[in-house]
Amino acid sequence: MNKMVKGAIATGVGVILLAGGGGTLATWNQANTASMGSVVAGDLNLAAGAGVWTNAAGTAIPKIADYKVVPGDTLTYTQPLTVTLTGNLMTAKLAVTGASAASGFGDNAVVSATTLTNSKNGKVLADTVLVPADSGVVTASTTFTFKKSTTSTDATKATVDLSGIGYKLEQQAPVSSNNQ
Amino acid sequence: MQSTRALKATGLVLVAVLLGLLTVQGSYALWNKSASTNAGTVQAAEFRVSLTDTITNQATDMTLDDGTAASFSLSTTPSGVVVPGQSSYAGVQLGNATNAGGEFTIRASTGAPVVGGNTGSPLAPYLSVKVVAASSLSQCSQAALYATAPSNGTGTLDIAKAATGVLCFQISLAATMPASLTGQSTRIAVPIIVNQL
Repeated sequence: MNKMVKGAIATGVGVILLAGGGGTLATWNQANTASMGSVVAGDLNLAAGAGVWTNAAGTAIPKIADYKVVPGDTLTYTQPLTVTLTGNLMTAKLAVTGASAASGFGDNAVVSATTLTNSKNGKVLADTVLVPADSGVVTASTTFTFKKSTTSTDATKATVDLSGIGYKLEQQAPVSSNNQ
Repeated sequence: MQSTRALKATGLVLVAVLLGLLTVQGSYALWNKSASTNAGTVQAAEFRVSLTDTITNQATDMTLDDGTAASFSLSTTPSGVVVPGQSSYAGVQLGNATNAGGEFTIRASTGAPVVGGNTGSPLAPYLSVKVVAASSLSQCSQAALYATAPSNGTGTLDIAKAATGVLCFQISLAATMPASLTGQSTRIAVPIIVNQL
């Protein structure tokens, strides 16, 4: 045999030895799961219920569009807001947004600032921090006062649009919050 | 050279800080939810009072479209001349025609009668006007109705929302009127003022 054939045979034997040696790599090993569980997000929600208008006599007004107010009358709009706060570090603030001045009535009427109250805190102010335990109903109340001091026939047929008033529930950043 | 490098390094740090701050701002956008009141629109009522001559049934609003007060002529019964010592009668029906949503009662009051306008009338000292509230015209010509009424022409009438009422007038010519005034005529104006109660 010439040297070329001898070399080829030696190489083949070496490769076979390497393939046979592969079995020696299967040493003891074991796998396991992390058992981290699931990460569940909390919740923040604000739902405005049906509001109710009542007049100075305490009588409910079925449809405000059909009701005409006169000097001396005070209309109160009461609306339930359902606040949902879920999360271990969840905190939020509820605030009134927008405003409607009684511009159509001039100085003869006043629209009060909307107040928010709940059974736990009493008044819910703009800086009141709400926690998940505060979830539930917050009552919003706005009054329209047509002054009894109105004279002559001032402000007859006047109108004021109160649709600009709204509410905003806004989460507050946890103390140790990230910056992302 | 060293100061130039230091300036460049400071600039880079500032840019990095600025970018970092801008990035942090994004983290303020936390969960939030808004809701509307849907409170609608509040509308003021009309202050509208109708006047109806209870004899002719002619009607008008107390306030005209241009905002001025209406002037309303009443028919008298019996028609024709008034004999000294006797009376003539008239009546006007007032209607509370407001569209107010709640209670809205008004009070109509009559002021002192003006006889003969700005120039006056020689008949004025001999004329007296009494005003009483009534529920219908048929009562206006009943002399007994005016028995306790003041002779200065003042009277009041309260009218609930969507209701009507009648102001009756008794115009009497004194029996002591001198004969020299016979045949004279005059105009008697009675101001009516209506207020919300």
